Formats: sequence, structure tokens, C-alpha cells
Amino acid sequence: MTDTINNNTFSSDDWDNGPKEEFLKSENLAPSMTYWQDVGRRLRGNIPAMVSAAVIILLILAAVLGPSFSSHSYEDQELSFANIPPIINLYQITPGRYVYMHRNLRLIETTSGGDLIETVGMEKEDLFKKKMFYDIDGTRIILDYSQRPFKLTDVDGKPLETWKKTGPGGYLLGTDALGRDLFVRTLYGARISLLVALIATLANFLIGVIYGGIAGLAGGRTDNIMMRIVDIISTIPLTLYVILIMVVLDSGFLSIIIALGSVYWVNMARIVRGQILALKEQEFVLAARTIGTSTMRVLFQHLLPNSMGVIIVTATMLIPSAIFIESFLSFIGLGVSAPMASWGTLCSESLDSIRTFPYQLFTPALAICITMFAFNFLGDGLRDALDPKLRK
Amino acid sequence: MSKNNKDCLLKVDGLKKYFPMNKGLVKAVDDVSFSINRGETLGLVGESGCGKSTTARTIIRLYNPDSGSIELDGFELASLSQKRLMPHRKKMQMIFQDPYSSLNGRMTVRDIINEPISVHTKLNKNDTKNKINDLLERVGLNAGHANRYPHEFSGGQRQRIGIARALAANPDFIICDEPISALDVSIQAQVVNMLEELQEEFGLTYLFIAHDLSMVRHISNQMGVMYLGRIVEIGESSEIYREPKHPYTQALLGANPVPDPRIVRQKLKIIGDIPSPLNIPSGCRFRTRCPHAMDICSKEEPQLTGSGRQVACHLHT
Repeated sequence: MTDTINNNTFSSDDWDNGPKEEFLKSENLAPSMTYWQDVGRRLRGNIPAMVSAAVIILLILAAVLGPSFSSHSYEDQELSFANIPPIINLYQITPGRYVYMHRNLRLIETTSGGDLIETVGMEKEDLFKKKMFYDIDGTRIILDYSQRPFKLTDVDGKPLETWKKTGPGGYLLGTDALGRDLFVRTLYGARISLLVALIATLANFLIGVIYGGIAGLAGGRTDNIMMRIVDIISTIPLTLYVILIMVVLDSGFLSIIIALGSVYWVNMARIVRGQILALKEQEFVLAARTIGTSTMRVLFQHLLPNSMGVIIVTATMLIPSAIFIESFLSFIGLGVSAPMASWGTLCSESLDSIRTFPYQLFTPALAICITMFAFNFLGDGLRDALDPKLRK
Repeated sequence: MSKNNKDCLLKVDGLKKYFPMNKGLVKAVDDVSFSINRGETLGLVGESGCGKSTTARTIIRLYNPDSGSIELDGFELASLSQKRLMPHRKKMQMIFQDPYSSLNGRMTVRDIINEPISVHTKLNKNDTKNKINDLLERVGLNAGHANRYPHEFSGGQRQRIGIARALAANPDFIICDEPISALDVSIQAQVVNMLEELQEEFGLTYLFIAHDLSMVRHISNQMGVMYLGRIVEIGESSEIYREPKHPYTQALLGANPVPDPRIVRQKLKIIGDIPSPLNIPSGCRFRTRCPHAMDICSKEEPQLTGSGRQVACHLHT
């Protein structure tokens, strides 16, 4: 047995007969593509994600620049122009004099373009017949509220024709119950929401990623203790944190920011820890350790860059829920205080008059929906782009 | 044996590495001793799970040994803290098995090879660049590859990058942890030839782990056969190849395919699987699968005996 093996071994020359690997000349190679260039290329091919990214950029621009283009500020009240819808019916009384009949039984004089001028004074009111009498430049008109829908008639009781439908000048989306411009307030709400998104992202990156990274890298007892702390934090509802912080601090918004900033990183910490645990047994990490690379350099040069895809996707997916949490807390009255506006408070304020003025709920609700959709679609697109294997 | 009159670079003595598990201790490396002379190669063979890689990783201090000594170039490394180990790290490097996971996909080839250079040397930018280009050319790539990413290379090319990284710190001793098992056969030959050329050129010492016996025979001067965390036979590889003494070595060599269909081999058949390292058989750990098992085998653990060529088997005491 031993002889047969001995007769059939290789000599050094045998190896030289193996095929030689031909290396391509550098100039013949396709241009090098980094991982992120590749991701960018895949992301650009994803239409919903690109539309979402455009929406988010528009939203940021609108929130930052939008309010300065409007003549109204988010806190200017004009009680006589309260609850003006975004589209109003104008009636021509005489050439050059136009009125708008407000749903709470007032006539507001406007210009021909729809700019609101002032409330028209009433001549007299017949409470018994439910009629209001007006005299505009000698033309007498009657606001008849004896039956719905209310109508504007001439002295003979013949309904006036709508002269034209137009937007109330200056108020793009109408006004709220205190006569504040809803458009500016919605944009102002976008500022709040984007600020919350920013805080949530910062908390995730500064605390979540590093906390999870250290827990995963350290392993053993340290990891165990750190993750139990995370478990404890995540068991206590965020609402409770906000209320407790509000006891100490006055501002509702500041407490939301502090609550989000201090506890909203736990999901990220868990995900990063899982990633690090999986990555740290990879041979390139062992190689770095045999080289003698410092632990921090292993974390920041090897482990985190390789988890960046998951981190970005998680952050993008956590942003909409942070925005929703803020809106929800504001909606139930724990959020920003008047006269500041967030989408949650706008929704909440509009609920009082939802039957009469539904447009007031429509705008902030739509804004919340669009923003959440945009961030979710972008997160989905990023996930597909960062990990092509996950694609359906 | 020539060990006494040659310069011994690495001396491992009584190395032990146990992993605590829920069910008990896994004795991955249990009292392993060997030494490698400068410029020579020790091949370490054995089945999967016999502790070859753990031995290698303990020597390079990825794991802390439970006991035993690791003496590299006259310095005792086994008891040093990671911090005090740093200056010795550059003397030993490792080439890994899987060329796909051993390179960080987010770093360029330049950054990968630069890592040991920046940790261990204080070269300026220009010298570093030249050194990286030299290394790339030395392992059969070219300088134009430096700005590329690992995913742009084939398995063989990636293994060459891994070798260049191991060489970058100017080590004396390189652990090759199955460096060719993940490669195509034609590429294996190229990589092994290159390792041999590099050994000659830089006077390197290798610990070469493999399960391809003909490859180990080809590259190594000494050969150690491991079974369940222990070395059962160690000596000159040509001698072991010519006349394997331990039944396990005989079985291993018998399982090695011979590229000549006319040769009919007598195979020593061993039965069953390798026992769980959680409960190692009493006495000789190979007795459960050994065709020559005797009474004494279950009672007394055989020790490595002999000078130079050592065997741990009651048949040879």
C-alpha cells in the first residue's frame, strides 16, 4: 500500500503544466463601479422610489422656503375671514361689487379676483322668516336661511346666479376657524414633521448604530446587559415618556423631541447588533484582527460600512413612523402648542367642524399620507437597490 | 531529526483551547505540541472539525489559549495581552480559506493591502503606493487593479489579494488556513506554486492547513495529522507518506485518490463518524473507529512517542 502511494506522487514540474491564468490588461477592463455607484444605478431605475425622493425633496424645499412666499404667517388671525374654503362662489351685485356668502351667514365683499375685502354690514334681519337683508349700493339682496342650502336672492326671492368660482385671494387652501392661512400652517406643520424626522434619524445614527455596534462587537456579558437595557426601554410606551417629560418641561414639542431622541433608537440598535454579530465572524474581520487593527477601526472601517445598507433602509423606514408618532401625539393634545401648527394639531382642530368645513381636515391628512407613502416607497426602493438578492 | 541544528521559528507546546458550551466543554485543541523551523513548512491535516483551524487561530491569538505556550522567534506569545501582542502581530499573518469572505467588499484592493502597512509601518504616501504596487505585481496582479473592488475579481485573483495582504506586514511566519480548498483545481496549482516561490524569496515559514494530502505532501517538510484536537502522528512528510504508522494516518492516506486507475489500493476502512468533541472517548480517542483497537486503548491514552517521527498509538509503543 505504501509503495503504490509513493509511486504516484507529484513532482514540482507537474504543477508547471497547469494552465496559466491570463490577466486582463487594465486598459481592457470595464470601468470600475463602486458599490454605491451600483446602488445609485439600481435606485434610479426604480420609478416609485425616484418619485418619492422627488416628493421628499419638494416637501423639504416647500417647508423651508414656502412660508416666506406667502403674505400670511402661520399665527396671523383674521377672525372675520375664518373658515374660508379654498374655492368660493362669487356673486356679482353691481358691476364692480362682488360678494361671497359665507356658510355661517355672513356676506363678505370681495374684489373681482376673489380677494377678501371686508364683511358687509347687515341692514336688518327677520328672525321669524329667517332672512337677512342687505343693501349694497342701493341693490337690495336677501340671504335666505329658512331652508338648506342657504341661498342669496333678490328682493323678489329669485336666487342670484353664481358669477364665478374662484380661490380666496392669498389663502391658497382656505383658512381655519381662527382665520389663519391653512396653506402656511400646513407648510409649517411640514417643518415640524421634517424636524422630527431629522431628530429620529440623528438619534438612530448617533445612538442606535453606535450602541448596537458596540453591543454586537463586545458580545458576551456586555452585549447581554446592553440588550436588556434596550428591552426595558422598548417596553415603556413612548406616550408615557412624553407625558413624563411634559411634567418637567412645558413645551409639548420639546418633550416629543427629547422623548424621540432618547428612546427612538432601540430598533436600530437591535438591527445593527444583529448585523455586527453576523459580520464579526466573517474572515475579513478575522483578518483585520490578525493584522492588529484596533477595535474601533474594525467597527468603523469593516463592520459598519458592511451594515450600511441595512442601516439606511431601517432609518428610512423609521422616519415615517416617527412622523406619525409626532402627528398622533399632537392629535391627542400632547404635541406642539398653539399657535404652532403640526399636521396632527391641524387634523385635531379641524375635527370640530368636520361636517361643515371638511377641507380643513383634508389638507393635513393628505400631507401625512403623502409623506408616509414617500418615505416608505423610498425605503423599499433603497432596500431593493442595496440588496439585489431581496428583489422579487 | 534536523530540528536541533536548525533555527526553530515557532514552537507550540501543550496548547489547549476549550470552548464552554451549554452541555459541557468542547475540547477543540487538546494538548498540541509541534515546532517549525525557519523557512520550512508544517502541513497540518485531519478531518473537518478535528481542530486544525482552531489550532491556527489560537496560535495567531484570535482565540486566547487555555494553556500551553506559543513561542515565535524566541518570544512567548500565549500569555501576552492583546495590547502587548501588537508588536509581534506583524511577524505572523494568516491566509484564509474563503477568498470571498476574507476581503472586505467595501474597500478597494489598495485599502485592503494598505491595512497592515498602515497599522505596522510608518511609510509615507509614496512609499506605501510603491509597496502596494510591488506586492500586487509579486502575486501576479498589476498596479491597475489597486483601485478596484474585490467583487471584480475571480476566486484565484482574490486569494492572491489575500496573500498580498498577508505579505504586506513583512511577516516571518504565515498560517495558510486551507488557502486552496475553495479554488478550482487549475488555480490551486498556481496558488501553491506562488506560495512556494514566495517562501523562497522572502524566507517565509508556513503552517499549512489542508485536507488535500497530495498538496500537503508537495508543499510541506513536516506533516502533522490531527484527530479530535490532538496530533496523532507527526514527522517528515515524505516519511509519513511512505510509511504511515498510526491507523488513522493509514486510513487518511488510503482515502487519498491516486490518479492511476491501474493501481488497486488496499484500503483500511474506518467506520462511523468522528465522535462529538463534547464527549471524547476514554483512552485513545481513535479507538471507536480503529480496526486494531485493543483493551489497553480504552484505558490508557497513548502519548506521542519517538524522536523526530512521533506516533501516538499503542501499536507502536
